Amino acid sequence: MRRFMMLLPLLWSFAALAETPKTVLVVNSGEASLSVIDYATHTVLRKIPMVREPHHWVMTPDGKDLIIGDTVANELIVLDPDTYDIRRHITMPDPYQMLFTPDGTKLVVAGLARKQVDVYEAGTYKLLHRFPMVSMPSHIDFTPDSSTAFVSLQGTNKAAAMDLRNMTVKWVAPTGPAPAGIMYHNGQLLVAIMGSDHVDILNANTGATVGHIQATNGAHQLFISPDHKTLFVNSRIDSTISTYDATTYKLIRTYRVPGGPDDLIFTPDGRVWATLRFVQKVGILDLQTGALETIPVGRSPHGIYIKGAVNMGGDNK
Amino acid sequence: MNFGAPFDFAAGWLQEHVVLPLLYQFGFMQWEEWSFGWSLFAVYGVAQVIAAVLICWPLEHFWPVERWKDHKAEWVDVLYTLINRVGFLPLITFVLFTQIQMSINGWLADQGLLAPTLERLVPWFEGRPVITFIIYAIVLDLGEYWRHRLSHVFNWWYGLHSLHHAQRQMTFWSDDRNHVLDEVIGFLWFTMLALIMGVPPLQFPMLVLLLRLLESMSHANARISFGWLGERLLVSPRFHRAHHGTTAAGRMSVNYGGVFPWWDMMFGSADFSPEFAATGDPSAEEALATGSYWQQQLAGLRRMLRELVA
Repeated sequence: MRRFMMLLPLLWSFAALAETPKTVLVVNSGEASLSVIDYATHTVLRKIPMVREPHHWVMTPDGKDLIIGDTVANELIVLDPDTYDIRRHITMPDPYQMLFTPDGTKLVVAGLARKQVDVYEAGTYKLLHRFPMVSMPSHIDFTPDSSTAFVSLQGTNKAAAMDLRNMTVKWVAPTGPAPAGIMYHNGQLLVAIMGSDHVDILNANTGATVGHIQATNGAHQLFISPDHKTLFVNSRIDSTISTYDATTYKLIRTYRVPGGPDDLIFTPDGRVWATLRFVQKVGILDLQTGALETIPVGRSPHGIYIKGAVNMGGDNK
Repeated sequence: MNFGAPFDFAAGWLQEHVVLPLLYQFGFMQWEEWSFGWSLFAVYGVAQVIAAVLICWPLEHFWPVERWKDHKAEWVDVLYTLINRVGFLPLITFVLFTQIQMSINGWLADQGLLAPTLERLVPWFEGRPVITFIIYAIVLDLGEYWRHRLSHVFNWWYGLHSLHHAQRQMTFWSDDRNHVLDEVIGFLWFTMLALIMGVPPLQFPMLVLLLRLLESMSHANARISFGWLGERLLVSPRFHRAHHGTTAAGRMSVNYGGVFPWWDMMFGSADFSPEFAATGDPSAEEALATGSYWQQQLAGLRRMLRELVA
């Protein structure tokens, strides 16, 4: 009962957020396709071919274009966010994780395989600056004023902060092994430690480690609920989604979600949809009961998009 | 119906329950993004070996060309197969191919160029992976024909390749008995062609394994011919046995094609005579034929060096 009461504000905020979506879009990284799922019936309506290996999506600041990053094709594929019609392709090397800065002026792209973080001008997609990285830049986040980008460096057990005004590296700091999800939260930087069982808390100005949040094995991704009150942590090894009080970092509940939960979205009905990469499915988690429904999609599903719902933290903000 | 679903399920299971826990245990979780590809590679490799055994073993048992009392010389070929198809070699192949492709194509993208792919040349191919897969297989087999033919032209190269030809007890396991340097050359050749065509990374291992499954069958010790037409459509055990014949070792060989005989017909090296030849390379030292894995590798290296300094 206590857990349910803690989740009530979250449910209310979901309900207030958006209209009921019609479809959910899933990015199947292992088979170069997108699955379109009917939100109401949970049936797969169709598949849209991509080029080689799409992973994540990002919405343009004006909300007019939905962009899929195809890493192996070295392309952005621009879609109509309502119909999913392909509008155009933009050449871009290794667009793995992509986020627009909160002010909407720049697109920051982490190239996991090409070991680079690129900063593009939003709209024109002209390369403004490249930050070469020693190894595997993975996830990205920003300070709210868009002055600083943070990136986890998966191959070197470090995180880096980059000043986007003068395009310099502010700091590179050690983290736990194989850092993945990264999130600027309440003036601090949270980094999910995939090679271990916790989330590192770093000082966002200096990179110094100031604490950690106990998670389960293989902590991979971080998301914040639409009302900013609940922190979600996904784990790859133990296959769990854990919820925490976003202020005190006190554990609320751990949900067992078999199949390797990765990206997730919050829907207006108070549930969470997560891509389950190992089992070629999407999971729909009821946060009240813990019940999990699954829908078969394509091979190695990674990104997940739903119009009308708010997706905060981690991949898509 | 998705015929790949059982393989995807098995690969996902292997990834979740074996590969990722091992990566986690030994501190290699940074590679988790590629772990599905590795798992899929291993699953296809195991499936391919099982398929080869299920198809070829009955053929060899009921319709053998030759019967041998002692099967000791064949066991090393089993070892070669397991190393090449389910061991580390496929994983290294996948990782190297991915890295090379990302480096070259990423550099091209930096210049504002896109690497060529079948889909970009002919947009109709987009979303038709089965058709593009077949086209890739045909072109890659043509590439393999010329690599194989050249390995018989250059004496130093044949010094390595003679390891493959030295087997006098040729069975479906023999396809993978190759010198490791010959494998490296083969990998570079195959990879270069796949890169030029823009083969998707996850199709690359499947192409390697499918072509080699068919090549396993053509090495079978089975008295099987596909008839006049069939022999001209697909390489049969009889057709490939002519290539391994004792009189066909070295420069004077025939039937270089791995999967399709079309290239031999096109380039004048086809031999459709009905005989089932005795196999082996009379010019090879005994270690190449009956030695252990390492004895064969050293003997192949010695022969290559001898040819280079000759």
